[in-house]
Amino acid sequence: MAELLAPALPTRARMRRTAPAAVSAVALVAMIAVCASLQSDVLTVAGLSLVLSATVPLVIAAQAQMTLMSVGDIDLGIGTFVGLVTVVAATSLVSSPVTGVLILLGLVAAYAVLGTLVHLRRVPSLIATLGASFVWLGLGLFILPTPGGTTPEWLAAFGTWQPAGFPAPLLPILLVAALVYLLTARSALGVRMRALGSNPVALERAGLRPLAARAIAYAAAGALGVLSGLVLASQTGGGDVSSASSYTLMTVAAVILGGGSFQGGGAVPWGVAIGGVTLGLVSVVLSLLDVPTTMQSAVQGLIVLAVLAGRVVVGKVLR
Amino acid sequence: MNNLRALGTRPWIWGFAAAALVWLAILAISGQGGGQTVSLALSLAPYLVIVGLGQMLVITAGPGNIDVSVAPIISLAGFVSVATAAATGSATAGIVAGIGVGLAVAVVSTVAILGLSVPPIIATLAAGLVASSVTLSLADGFAAVPDPGLRHLLNLRPAGVPLLAVAVAAVTALVVALLRRTVYGRSLIAVGQNRRAAERAGVPVARIIATTYLASGALAGLTGSLLAAYIAPSADLGTRYLLDSVAVVVIGGTLISGGRAVPVGVWGAALFFILLDGLVNLVGWSTAAQNLLKGGLVLLVLFLAGGGDRATGTPSLFRRRPRPAAATLTTTGENTHG
Repeated sequence: MAELLAPALPTRARMRRTAPAAVSAVALVAMIAVCASLQSDVLTVAGLSLVLSATVPLVIAAQAQMTLMSVGDIDLGIGTFVGLVTVVAATSLVSSPVTGVLILLGLVAAYAVLGTLVHLRRVPSLIATLGASFVWLGLGLFILPTPGGTTPEWLAAFGTWQPAGFPAPLLPILLVAALVYLLTARSALGVRMRALGSNPVALERAGLRPLAARAIAYAAAGALGVLSGLVLASQTGGGDVSSASSYTLMTVAAVILGGGSFQGGGAVPWGVAIGGVTLGLVSVVLSLLDVPTTMQSAVQGLIVLAVLAGRVVVGKVLR
Repeated sequence: MNNLRALGTRPWIWGFAAAALVWLAILAISGQGGGQTVSLALSLAPYLVIVGLGQMLVITAGPGNIDVSVAPIISLAGFVSVATAAATGSATAGIVAGIGVGLAVAVVSTVAILGLSVPPIIATLAAGLVASSVTLSLADGFAAVPDPGLRHLLNLRPAGVPLLAVAVAAVTALVVALLRRTVYGRSLIAVGQNRRAAERAGVPVARIIATTYLASGALAGLTGSLLAAYIAPSADLGTRYLLDSVAVVVIGGTLISGGRAVPVGVWGAALFFILLDGLVNLVGWSTAAQNLLKGGLVLLVLFLAGGGDRATGTPSLFRRRPRPAAATLTTTGENTHG
C-alpha cells in the first residue's frame, strides 16, 4: 500500500495547485461547446480565429498583471497603460518609427522606475500604480485627445494575418504564455521574483537583492503591457487611451481565475492564458446568445463568481 | 492605545496642507475671491467625502480589502433615486431607494466574500458589473428629472457654507465616534491590524467584514442619490469616484494595509482634489494636463512620504516617528491574509 500511495501523493498536491485553472478550463470548454452548438462554424479554423482574436490583448495584459502579482504587488494602471500604448502605436510609430520605438522603450523603463521607487520608498503598489494610471491617461490624452490615427502597415498586417491550418490568435497567446512561463517559473530570476512575493525576508537573508527582482518584474510587466497595446492597436486599427480601461480589473479577474493569488509567490502563466480566454469569450458567447449588450457585463460578473464558487467546491473535495 | 493617539493627531495634516497650498496658488493666480473658492470647494467635496468614508472603512478592514463597486453603485443609485423621487414625489424616498440600491449591491459582494471566499476586489468587481448592467438598461430612454427641492437644498449656502458640507462634517464626526467608541469600530480596527489575532480574541470577524461592506455600499448609494440630484443622473456619474475614493483615503493618512482609519484626513484630501481641479480649470489646462498633474502629485506625495517597514508588510504613509515595538508586532502577520 505504501508503495502505491507514495507516487499518488505528489499528484494530489499537483491537482490542488492546478485545480483553479482546471475549473476555468471546464468553463472554457463549456463556452466553446455552447458557441459551437449555436454556430457550427465556430469550430473551423476561421471561426476559432475570429472568436479568439478579441481575447489576445486581454490575455497578454493578464500575463503582465500575473507577473506583478507573483511578487505580491498589483497593477491598477495596466488598463490605461495598454490604452496609452495603442495611442503611441497609432501616432508616433506611424509618423516616425524610431521615435515611436524609443517612446515604447521609455514606457517599459518607466515601469521599471516605478517598481524601483515602490521598493525603495516602501509604498503600496496599489496606490503607486493607481497614481501612475492618471499619468498614463494624461499622456495618452496629451498625444491623442480624441480616438483616431492609423496603425503602421506591419502591425495592421499582423492583425489580419490568416495562416492556413491553425487559428492565428493561438500563436501569440501560447507564445507569450511560454515566454512568461520560462521567465517566472523556470528561470533563476523567476525563483527570486516568487521568493520576493512569498517571503522577502528569506530572499534578503539568502544574500539576494529584492530590489533587482522587483524592478525586473515591473519591467517585464511593462514590456507585456506594450505588447498587449500593440496587438490591440493591430485589431482596432487606431489609438484610444480609454479603449482598454476595463482591462485593469479584468486582468486581475483573469489571474484569479487562472489560479493566482494576491499573496504573491506563485506564477501561473498557463492558468492565466486559460482564465483570460475564458473571460474574453464571455462576450462572444453572449452576443451569439443574443443577450442585449447592456446585460453582458452582468453575465460576465456572474460567470466570474460562478467559476470561483466552483473552485471553492473543488477545493473542499480535494482537501 | 497607540492607535487612538495616531487617529487623533498626525496623519490627516498633509491633505489639508496640500489643499491650503493649492488654495494659495488659486488665490495668487486669480487675485480675488479666496472665500468664494473655498465655498465652492466645500460644496463639491462632500460627495467625494461620503464615498471616501465608506472606502476608508473597507480599507481599514485589512490587506486585500477594497470596494471597487462604488463607481457602478453611484451611477445606479443616481438613476434609481431620481426615478423613485419622480414616481413618489418625495425626495426622501428617492434617497432611501438610492441607499437601498447600494446595500443590495453590497449584499452580493458580501455573500461572495464571506460565503464563497472570493477575494474582495473580485467580488466587488463582479457585483459592480451586475450593477452597471442594470444602470445601462435603466439609462435607455430615461426621462425623469431630479427633484427640484432637493437640488435647491444641495445648492443652499447660508453665509457661504454649503448645508451639505455641514451635514457631511457631522457624518464624519459620527464615523470618528463610531471608530473610537463603539465595539464595532474597535473590532474593525482590530481585524485590520491582525485578522487572526482578532479571531482568537473572540471578535466576530465575518460580521464585522459584512457590516463594513454594507456600510460602504450604503454610503456610495447615498453619494449617488445626492450627486444625481445635484448634477443629473448619467451612466458614468460614478466613474471618477473609484480611483478618487481610494486616492483620498490614502492621501488622508489611512493605512492601506488596514488597522488605522483617519476619517478627518478624507476631508483634507477631498478638498485637495477638488481645489486641484479648480486650479487646473482656472489656468485653462486640458484634461490631459489635469490627469498628468493629479497623477504626478499623488506619486510625488506617495514617494516623498515613503512607507513603513517592508519586511513586516506594513507600508505606511506619512509616518514620521518609528512605531513602538508592540504596534509593529501586532501587524507582523498581516501579509499572510488575503
